[in-house]
Amino acid sequence: MKHFKYLLTSLLLLSSSLATAASLQLQLQSDTANPTHPTMGDWMHFNSVITNTGQQPIEGLVAWISLVEVTPGKEQPMDLEDWSAHKAVTGTTLQSDASLQTQWPMRLIQSGDYRVVISATDRNNKTVFTSPTLQFHVAQKPVVESARILPVALGIPLLIGGLLGVQKFRRRHKTG
Amino acid sequence: MNACTLIAKKERRALLQNQRGLAWLLAYSGILSAFALLLISNQELSLLDNAQVVYMMAGTVTAAGALIAVIMGADAYAGERERGTLVPLLTAPISTVELLMGKAAGLASAWGIMYLLAIPYLWAVGAGGQNLGQAIFYLGLFGTPVVLGFGYLAMALSARSGSVMSSLLTSLIVLLFSASPLLIGPGLRNSAVGKALDAVNPFSGALNTYDAVIIDSDPLTSQLGRLALVLIWLGLMFGVARLSARRPVFR
Repeated sequence: MKHFKYLLTSLLLLSSSLATAASLQLQLQSDTANPTHPTMGDWMHFNSVITNTGQQPIEGLVAWISLVEVTPGKEQPMDLEDWSAHKAVTGTTLQSDASLQTQWPMRLIQSGDYRVVISATDRNNKTVFTSPTLQFHVAQKPVVESARILPVALGIPLLIGGLLGVQKFRRRHKTG
Repeated sequence: MNACTLIAKKERRALLQNQRGLAWLLAYSGILSAFALLLISNQELSLLDNAQVVYMMAGTVTAAGALIAVIMGADAYAGERERGTLVPLLTAPISTVELLMGKAAGLASAWGIMYLLAIPYLWAVGAGGQNLGQAIFYLGLFGTPVVLGFGYLAMALSARSGSVMSSLLTSLIVLLFSASPLLIGPGLRNSAVGKALDAVNPFSGALNTYDAVIIDSDPLTSQLGRLALVLIWLGLMFGVARLSARRPVFR
């Protein structure tokens, strides 16, 4: 009887904590307009749906996007500084059964293999919920072309240097 | 032709037809060429995104332009004094305001020439990418007040200090401090001190705008605060130059 009491109390405590714990479901999909073979400089968009599957409203929801490089030998988390200006959604309240749809734009800065994931948490609970990951490959594209740069980078100083030479010649000619 | 226009024309001629002025332009184009050549000589840099490269070039143009403006500004009064031409200028039938306006207009036209020289470089590194037109437009809109502001600051110091060297050194120290965001990326400036400095530093204002409009394609409406910052900087420095130039040190 004593063991039964402990069991009942534990179950009650567990059920009450389950009832108050936040529960989020995250879905992540690549936008249908995304390029099939993404190349450096292209834009990609990722659509996420965050649903509050719990009984209680979620206050102070924070959702953010993370990018991880998984190119063999270069595995590392990426700083999104230049990839995306839209890195997080903050301070949102989500009622029970309500959903939050967000589109995450991203400009592909470097070539390689990447995985993108959306994470979410809220003000009151310590749990972090994550979406399934999406993996994509960014093809390399040399963007700075020497055929364009060389004539300008060498031509303009040569032109000004030529003008300087002409000035010197004229001055010498005048005084000479 | 009034005295102010005459002085402005003389200053512009000094840049385009004078050996010293041409040497400054050569140094300016040398900085831009060195940066452009660095981009194609390094494989990692050559793979950078177009917008990123255009942003870096716009920042380099602003820094190099401000450097030449500081040199010209430091030479404006102290240089005339060292060459022995300041006293004849001050005794000529021309007011100190007209003299300053002439020098300021000469500096503005010098920046105009540097801006035009920068366009082929921006095209060379950014053609085929995004926001090249925006980069050229915003370099004019934000780069002009920043560059001229530094020139007017150097002019103010030049009018009040004893030599070109001392006004040049002081202006360069201010410029180096202001241009430090070129070396310290936005991520590292994300502290309270970094943010506070960014909020008052016109150079940061211009750089952050280049970043926002060239890389992130943000609209002009989101940059109005930074536009106000660089315009205040320009107005303030012109005011300081005007105050200093009222009674320039001529001994």
